[in-house]
Formats: sequence, structure tokens, C-alpha cells
Amino acid sequence: MSIVKDIQSGRKPLKRAYVGIFLWFTGRAIQATARVDQEVKKEFDNLPDDFTFSLGCLPDGPCMVIGKEKGKVKYLGSNPGKRHVHVRLAIKSVDAAFLILSFQEGTAVATTRNRLITDGEVPYALAVIRILDIVEVYLLPKIIASLAVKRYPKGWSIGRKLGGRIGVYTRTLLGI
Amino acid sequence: MNPAPVFTFTCPVKTNSGNKALEHLPVELAGLNAGNPLIITSRKAVGQKAIQTLLDAFGDSGMTLGLFDGVTTTANPDLIEHLKSIYLEKKYDAIIALGGYGVVDAAKVLNLAVSLKTADAHKLSPATPIRGHLSPLVVVPTAAASGLETSKFAHFNHMIYSSEYLAPNLVVMDPRLTRGADGKTIAATGLAALGRAVEAQISADHNPFRDAYSFAAIRFIKENLPAAVKKPSDKKASLAVLNAASMSGCAASDTKSARLHKLGQVFYDIQHIPPGVIMAMCLPHVLGDDLKEGACDLAALLHPLVGDDEFARTPAAKRAETALAVLGRFLSDLYGTLGKDLPRNLKEACVPGYRMEDILDGLGQDEEGRYLKTVVERITG
Amino acid sequence: MLLPDYYEFCCRVKIVAGHDALEKIPDLLIERGAKKPLIITDKGVAGAGLIDIVTRALRDRVFADLIADNVPPDSDLRVVNQLAGLYHDNACDAIIAVGGGSVMDTAKGVNIVVSENATDLMAFSGVGALKRPLKPLIAVPTTAGTGSEVTQVAVIKDHEKHLKMAFGSYFLLPDISVLDSRMTMTMPPFITAMTGMDAMSHAVEAYYCLQKNPLSDAHALAAVNMIYQYLPIVAKNPADQDARLSMAVGACLAGIAFSNSMVGLVHNLGHATGSVCGVPHGMCMAIMLPYGLEYNMHKREDAMAGLLLPMAGEAVYRDTPPAQRAAKVVSLIRQLNADLNTITGGRHARFFQEVRDRDGKPMVPREVLPEIARAALSDGASIYNPEDTDYDDNLMVLEAAWEGKPLDRNKVKKG
Ligand SMILES: [Fe+2]
Repeated sequence: MSIVKDIQSGRKPLKRAYVGIFLWFTGRAIQATARVDQEVKKEFDNLPDDFTFSLGCLPDGPCMVIGKEKGKVKYLGSNPGKRHVHVRLAIKSVDAAFLILSFQEGTAVATTRNRLITDGEVPYALAVIRILDIVEVYLLPKIIASLAVKRYPKGWSIGRKLGGRIGVYTRTLLGI
Repeated sequence: MNPAPVFTFTCPVKTNSGNKALEHLPVELAGLNAGNPLIITSRKAVGQKAIQTLLDAFGDSGMTLGLFDGVTTTANPDLIEHLKSIYLEKKYDAIIALGGYGVVDAAKVLNLAVSLKTADAHKLSPATPIRGHLSPLVVVPTAAASGLETSKFAHFNHMIYSSEYLAPNLVVMDPRLTRGADGKTIAATGLAALGRAVEAQISADHNPFRDAYSFAAIRFIKENLPAAVKKPSDKKASLAVLNAASMSGCAASDTKSARLHKLGQVFYDIQHIPPGVIMAMCLPHVLGDDLKEGACDLAALLHPLVGDDEFARTPAAKRAETALAVLGRFLSDLYGTLGKDLPRNLKEACVPGYRMEDILDGLGQDEEGRYLKTVVERITG
Repeated sequence: MLLPDYYEFCCRVKIVAGHDALEKIPDLLIERGAKKPLIITDKGVAGAGLIDIVTRALRDRVFADLIADNVPPDSDLRVVNQLAGLYHDNACDAIIAVGGGSVMDTAKGVNIVVSENATDLMAFSGVGALKRPLKPLIAVPTTAGTGSEVTQVAVIKDHEKHLKMAFGSYFLLPDISVLDSRMTMTMPPFITAMTGMDAMSHAVEAYYCLQKNPLSDAHALAAVNMIYQYLPIVAKNPADQDARLSMAVGACLAGIAFSNSMVGLVHNLGHATGSVCGVPHGMCMAIMLPYGLEYNMHKREDAMAGLLLPMAGEAVYRDTPPAQRAAKVVSLIRQLNADLNTITGGRHARFFQEVRDRDGKPMVPREVLPEIARAALSDGASIYNPEDTDYDDNLMVLEAAWEGKPLDRNKVKKG
């Protein structure tokens, strides 16, 4: 018998499932927010017509793809297919994705901790990060979101906060 | 600055430190063009839990890992040659050394062997020319580290290899592996880091690039070692001590005069006392002599030791002696905390008299060796 | 010194520094099995006689006659490909880059093409596309400022397709950086001042931005100390060799700090001002630095206060109450700008209103500030800034920096 043992790396089904579900949820939420929130809508309007971005985790973990189709923002599932992906956000491991998607680390913090690899043109990537920040504010209770984003927005009207949040949630769950 | 007309500095090691650092390994290896690593470790030294933590970090990567967990203190060229042939046959493409001290030394020499491919490991020696990058080497230290893991040195089979290409490409420090050892172990790690960093900081050939490493190392040890020793489960403190150890190794690679290092190493080679323990015994004597003779720039130690406020309050003429006094108090507090677990002299360390001859021989016959013998006499106890 | 929850740090570059550091190059090349380097530079550097100094240092030991001095001020894909051809045709085995940021970028691009035998450089753009060491690259910086001799990024422009390609990889780090005082001795005071302030901004931003870590901190503190001390000296006495070397070392330390900890608002608005108005980078940095400190002070006051001792020394530190130390750092930076303004006979601008081109025309008319504020939203440095920035924030800071008035910190939206 060889003194060197070969060991097949294990699996992390639970974390993977959580990350997968959460990516699905975030994808739907982005689609919904783009309908409800003016600022997110504006960010998307400024991006190219076939704009596509993905958020996933390495090496072949769960992934979600968002793209513009005929002016509408759509959650495109987990595979971009033949579409050109303008911005690719890749989280270095499923554990790092868990940190980010369970809001222990916000997008900015995760970036400064080298958890994310960003590929694509910088202005587009920044637009994506701004969009994700707003979506986080919609989805999360303030106490958690204020940890995830640098500056929790003060200027939001009650209408944007509550009306928007309800809108985002229903649309996310219904997928419209 | 450095008085020499031209000075050089290199630290080839990338540092990754902190929460979930291990989980970045698959991506880091891919960045080094590797996907099939061989893990080298000692089950006896690091324990099954540490090995499992490292293996688990690869979960979901789809990679296959080789594991050799039988490195002992007597690792020899036979073992290296054996591992080399397995490495080449199974087409591993990187080495991950889990642990410290001899595990990493063996990994460095193995890396040399597999990178040179054709050379018989028995024929490797410090004279073997190394002209370029070797295969990727990653070091994952546990709490028991000599500080030399990140250095360009490998102590192997009674020889000292030295080349910047031997230094690891990456050191990964993860709190799951660096905390939880006993106070004695983390103290030895921290004191070796302190000794090496102090030596780098005061030696005449210092330069601002190296100073960055020694400064940060001294500051971290001063601020964190007492907490890590008192409460080894303190995640942050023990990680900071390991960071200091890693930095001290980077600084040590470029430090020529290294008296404490030499003393620590001789006792380690012959009696297997952790170098930090001996370095702590010798430090007050060596620095005390320096202060008397005005030989080294001891004043340079004060700022990293005490921070901005106290440094700014201390008049320039008093800095050297204040630094020495601060170090003295720091050490005696540690001795106080650890009691019998941290021997204060060779008698307490149970160094048998018959070994002393070998040890004194190991210090050499030159002027420095003669001086170091006088230091050893003073720590006999 | 704080240990972040997670950090990474890497500077694999071998630093060789001294008054005759260039003379070490032949040994360093031979150690790496190379003897026929391609020397890449630009017309300005060659015209100042710096290449002659380099080749004289090499001549007897290695081949030193292959010199390409056609690097444009803005890196260009065509030049990269042409120089790669030159490298191949002459069977070169190493690259020596002598110059500033554009020369370094070009040399890194050439190195990718020749090492990977690439026909399409684009295939290697982005982060992490490079997987193995490239050919030996020796960087010889001729300004004490950009720090690009120790950075792992390169930007190459494809002027035909109007594309800007960014490359990021630890393999893009030069193997060796040679800091030789002779390379900066002839830099005129005005350029010295602004490139020096670029270096200062690297060190200061590295010390307060989000990705700071113990090693970037240690480099930043040493850099601030050297630059603050020596910048006025070299601006006043360009021929002071020791001070020139100290500036080169300080700028390199600052480069190591910021390439690991990144930069924030100062560079964010500075890049935007550069691209909208063509103001030299270093000048933008000098003007913006006090404002970056003021804007972020509520989040990073402790870190900023920590810059006082390395800058001003023990006496000033002792005499300044702890609560005023961060503000003191800002006023010292403003004073440094004012001193450089005096030394350069007014050429070193203190605020945007003062920036003029060769014909004396203002380069930053007040009306373009909104355009700059908008352009800044597309610059990556904002990620690493401690406080969030939006269009209104950018404009507020730019207005203040235009007039030269300190920022009203009460108006900063705090998160
Ligand atoms: Fe800059």
C-alpha cells in the first residue's frame, strides 16, 4: 500500500442548497426590484440592451443569471446559455458564498476580503453592485441590511420602504 | 536607512489570513495552475482534527487530494526520494504542508526534489543550484510554528538549504487551525517570532521594506501573545501570533546577523527544545550586551513595542534602555503566567549535561561562536 | 494594529535600491538565465539621457542594445504587439521597463504576449487568466510616484476598437524593481511635487481604506514618514541624491501598500477628473487628498490620527490633543501642498480652480464638475472607500476642492 492516500474531496450539500435557493431568491428579487424601484430601473436602463450578469460560486457551484430582454429585466435561471455575460461575479467557494448570502459579509466587505472575483468592465460591475445593495435593503430587515451595505439609506420615503418591500416580496415569490 | 550602497529585499510569500481562509485554497491553487495537490503533514504533530479541517475545506471542489501524514523529526532523503517518485508518478502538481517546523522543512526539500525531477534526492544538498521557480508550495501552519516556515531556509538532514525559491508561494492561516493549542505551544511560537523580528529590526543591514515585516510582527506579539497564552481558545489573539510568526520568517530570510536564531536552532537541532524557548532565555542577555556596547539600534524596538503614545513620550536618549526594560517585563510576565511550562534556564529545560558539548560545538569556533558560548553560560541556571 | 477578519497580502517583487542599483541588473539577469533583455521605454525618458545610464550599467555584462522607446503616453495594443514581435525576432529572454505607468503597463502587456505566445492579448484580460510565471521583467521607475513597479495590474487600450483592457494577476508583478536615485535626479520640481503627492495619496488612502491590513499598514506608515519628510527637500533641491533615493523608496512602499489595500475617494474623483479634463493624475491627487480625509473622517478618525506621528514626528504628536490629531493630519497635507506651491513658483496647484494648462487656460471649469461627479460613479475605487459615495456626494466634494475651501464635514451623509 502506498504511503500516500488519495482522498476524494467531500460535498457540502446543505450549504450548496442554501446558496442555490438564495441565489434563486435573489435573482427573482432583482427582477422584481427592477419593476418596483425607480433607482434600480434607472441603473438597468443605462446598461446595454442585452446586458447580462451572473453571480455564482466557484468552481462549479450554484449560479444565477440576470439579463435584459426587450427592455425588461429577467431572472434567467442558472445558465447564461449562449448569451454574452458582461459582468461575472464569482465567489471563491461555497463557504464564502454562504458568508455573503447569509449576510455575515456585505458585498463591499466581501470584496475587500477578496472573496469575490469580478470579471467584466468596471462601470458595469459597479452598477451591478449598486443594484445588489438596493435589493438587499429591500429584502432585509434594517438591522441586517445596515451591516451588509456601507450606508443604510436615510432618505427613503415610507412609501418606498414599505410599499416597495411588499412589492418586491410578492413579485419575488410569484416570479413576476 | 541601510548604510550599504545597494540593498535588496524579497518576500515571495503571499499571505492569506482569517475566517474561512482554507476554503479559498482551491481557487488559490487554480491560480497557481495546480489542481492535484499532495498534502504533507504529521498526524502526530497536528492531530487528526486539523487534517480533517483542511480536507473539509476542499469540499465541493471536486478535487482529489493526496495525503502523506507521516513526517517525523527524522525525515531523511530516503523518504524524500520515495515521496518524490509517488509525486511524479501520480502527477501531483503542488504541495500543501500542514503544520510547522520539520513538516515544512521536509516539504521544501521535497518540492526541490520534484521540481528538479531528475536529481536523486540523496544527492541534494545546499549546494544544489536552484535557478528558477519551483512547483507551487503552500504552507498551512498550525499553532506550533517556528516562524521559519515562510522563510527561504530549510533545515533538513543536518544541513541548511537557503534559496528564495524554497520559500512557499502562499501561507494560509486559518483560526480553526491556529487556536486551541496549549499556552506553552503558542508561547514558543510567539517567542520565536519575537526573537527573529527583534533581530531583524535592530540589525545593521535593515531597510524600510524588511522593517515593515519586523515592525508588524513585534507589535502583534506584544499586543497578542499574553492573551493567546492565557486563553488559547482566543481566536483573534492566536491568529495574530501566527501572523507575527509568518512575518518574522519573511524578515528572517533577509537578516544576516541572527544570533538569537542561531542559539535557538542549535538547541532545537540537538535537544528538540522549541527555538522560541531558548531565544527568550537569551534575548535579555544578548540585547543587554548590545546596549552596553551601543552595538545595535535597540531604540528601533521601542515604537513597535509600546505604540505611538509612549514612544513619543520617551526622549530619544532613553529609547534603547526603555525598549529593553519593556521586553524584560514582557518576558517575566509570560514566565509568571506559564510557570513550569516555560523554562527560564537550561536546568529547568532539563538539558542533560552530556549534550552541552555538542551544543557548544554547534555554535562554531569563530568570534560569534565564542560570544554565543558566553550567552549559553549565562542561561545555564 | 488591527487584524482584519480576513485579509490577503502579496508583494513578491524583489526590491533592489541604492545610488547604483542599476549595476546589479546584469547579475540578476544572469541568475535567471537571461542575457538579452528588451529595453522598453518612452521618448521622454530616453531624451532625458536615462537610458544611457541604464545601458552603461549593463553593457559589459549583458546585451544592452535593443531599445524600444516608442511607448505612447497612453498604452496602446498596437505598440504592445509590435514590441512583442521585436522581442521574438531578436530572441530576447527578459524585459527591462524604464519609465512611468504607461511604460510599465506596456511592458506587462508585452510580457503576456511573449510568455504565453498569445496572438490575442484580450484572451488574458480580466483577473486570474494568467496561471504561471512570465518571462523575467525588471522594472526601473523614473518617477517616484505611481508605484506601478510593484502593482499586479496593467491597463492596455485598443484604440481601434475603443476598448480598455484590464489585466490583474500576481504573475504581472515585476520580478525585480530597481530603485536608483539617478533615474529621478533630473525630474523638474513641478513634476517631482505632483508625482510625490501621488505616492503620498497611495500611502494615506491605503491606511484608511476598507481593505487595510497589518502589512499594508506597516508599509503605508513607513511610506508616509519618508514622503512627508523628503518631498519638500527634493522639490527644493532636485540634485539631493539621498533624498531622491528616499523618495523612490517611499513611493515604492506606498505602491506596495495600496496595491494590497486599494484606494478610495481621492483616486475615484481623481481618475474622473483626469479623464474628463486631462489634469495630470498626481495633481488631482495633491488637490483631492485633504478632501478624501475629511469626507471619511467620521468612519476612520483613529486611523487618520495614526498618521500624525510618522508625518510630523514626536513633538507635534505630543503637542496635539488626541481628538485633534486627524484634523491636524489634514492641515499638514494642506500645508504641504501650499509649500510645494511656493517652491514651484505657483505651478503646483492647491485646488482645481488653480489648475491651468500650458497656455494659462483653466483646465477644470466649474461647469464640468457635474460631469466629473457622474464619471466617478464608473470608477472602481469607490468600492474600497470607507463611506458610500453617490453623485451628490461626489459633487459636494468636487465643489469644495474647486474652491479650495475645507469640506463642511457636517454636510457629509453618514452611514
Ligand atoms: Fe495614484
